[in-house]
Amino acid sequence: MMLFGLEWAFPLVFLLLPMVLLPWFNNNLDKTVAWTALVPHDPLSRTISLTLKVLSSVVIAALLLAVASPAIPERTVERFGEGAEIVLLLDRSRSMDDAFAVTTQAANYSVAGDNSKRRVARTYLTEFVKKRPDDRFGFVFFSTNSINLLPLTYSKEAILNTIEANSLGKGLSDTNLADALMNSALMFEDQPYRGSRIVLLVSDGGQLMTDEAMELITKRYKEMNLSIYWIYLKARQGMTLEPSENDNILYTDLPERKVHEFFKSIGIPYRAFEAGSLEEFAAAMDEIDEQQYQTLIVEELVPHEPKADWFLWLALLAMLPLASSHLYSYWGVRKAHE
Amino acid sequence: MRLSYPKRIFLTALVMLISLLMIMAALWLPPVDREIEVMDSLFVIDITDSMNVEDVSFGSETITRLDWAKEYTRQSILSMPCGSHAGLAIFSEARSLILMTPVEVCANYHDLMQMLSQFHPTMAWARSSEVSKALYTAIRQAKEITPQPTVVFLTDGHEAPPVHETLFPKFTDTPGEVPGVIVGIGGSDLVPIPKTNEFGEIEGYWEINEVMHKDVYASSRGDAAELNNNRPRTEHLSSQKKSHMETVSRRVGFEFISSPTSPQKLIKEMQKISDTRQQPVKYDLFVWLASIALILLLLVFLPYSLFTKQHE
Repeated sequence: MMLFGLEWAFPLVFLLLPMVLLPWFNNNLDKTVAWTALVPHDPLSRTISLTLKVLSSVVIAALLLAVASPAIPERTVERFGEGAEIVLLLDRSRSMDDAFAVTTQAANYSVAGDNSKRRVARTYLTEFVKKRPDDRFGFVFFSTNSINLLPLTYSKEAILNTIEANSLGKGLSDTNLADALMNSALMFEDQPYRGSRIVLLVSDGGQLMTDEAMELITKRYKEMNLSIYWIYLKARQGMTLEPSENDNILYTDLPERKVHEFFKSIGIPYRAFEAGSLEEFAAAMDEIDEQQYQTLIVEELVPHEPKADWFLWLALLAMLPLASSHLYSYWGVRKAHE
Repeated sequence: MRLSYPKRIFLTALVMLISLLMIMAALWLPPVDREIEVMDSLFVIDITDSMNVEDVSFGSETITRLDWAKEYTRQSILSMPCGSHAGLAIFSEARSLILMTPVEVCANYHDLMQMLSQFHPTMAWARSSEVSKALYTAIRQAKEITPQPTVVFLTDGHEAPPVHETLFPKFTDTPGEVPGVIVGIGGSDLVPIPKTNEFGEIEGYWEINEVMHKDVYASSRGDAAELNNNRPRTEHLSSQKKSHMETVSRRVGFEFISSPTSPQKLIKEMQKISDTRQQPVKYDLFVWLASIALILLLLVFLPYSLFTKQHE
């Protein structure tokens, strides 16, 4: 329950608060005197007796409030950090189950285990995420209909476990790149601009997109100030995204080249990394890591802080004179009865 | 009985001193370690078409089976002690797809809920619903996760295409190696199933002639085919398939609970079968110490005179 800006774990304890009046309504400590008129009039004693009652009430109240366990509730604070907001777009198609950077013909046709492209991507992305303390990550589920599975979050555990889950099981038969790109942009919709916004695509191929889709993506990405990084996991060593002079004629019409052309034409910051080996993949991740340290507004979650100590201190401060005075009375009474 | 004045003064002084020490202890005694039992879980949610049927009651409302599954998952995660881990997965076609491996439930509650809220029939990558096979893949994948989670499989048990009683897909793993619970969802009456199109939008209902009513493999086997022919043609309708889920859960060594009313039922079942881990948590004793100080103080000030006979 919230009260006075604090969160109270046991608010029912408040019902006991009338107990603070007890010291004012009892005479347990009164000495029976035969005739009260015999007691000398002593203003100092009156003041002391009043003070002790007040102190007793304060101690009881403070202890009650401490037992109710107040705490400052969990809250977010904004601070400036360095980094970026990154949406991960990991290809989940069947081809990502194939081995990455194969050198022998035989390996090309075997079912890949730990060296499948999806697992390799998992390894490097995990390392990348761990290196970037301030970044906010989001994750798009890349299937027939893509879904913004994990909206931008600061939780490293959540994003790492989503990346981990992505490496399990088999790939999906059907993926839709245009839809996934659109959804990635939607992650930033209605979000204040905090800093560099990146869509990081990791895939081993491209897909042809309709003109409408391309137009829409261009518009969205420009409006929302996004950058695209594409880590292209090469299947064929000789193939490059940029056309070259001694090109194989088969490469010219490949969908990945079309996608590359399209990304370049959007007019937003775009970098493609062609990774043909583990080293190249690692280098690409390092380069993105180095480039993306711009000022970023970071929202930090401050966990709830117990504040019972305030009241315990108050109780202690009131208790010290109270206890000493009672010890003193005990000493005095013992002396008198000796 | 009435205590003598010196005795009262002595007791009061003693109580005050103890209270003072208790308050000091409450302030400065370091938190003690306490062990709590935590577990790892993986919630697999059926997102196939039959889950869009509105036949489960939630409070006074009737909601879809999928919404119920999501709400039940939320409540269950909320009921787990901090330090427990929960992961999320969906099932469609003939396989389970893990979307987040288990994360700590308290620190990541918000993200778990964000992801859970995205679970939608649109995520389905095919329009069939092979419960048993999906369950097997969930078990196989749970084995790849360390520490191995307890699988919670939320489904109505509707197999589409249907499976013949004697021709179940083979479960090749050891039953019970991965512990788990199947949570059965749905009413007991046969009701029409909303049909989703390729975008996952609901468009009418599955018609009697649009679904398979027989196990295709059984049709080619003489004895089974005979039995098959006598089956009623009701596969376009759906209800909670309790007996089927019981059979399946026995085969894989899972527990089966049907339409549980509280998350505690699932948590208790899971605690029984899971390998729980002991996790030390810091526990501050201040509440107890401050309470002792408080009770002692109140003892001094209670109006005893009301209960004892007054001396003249």
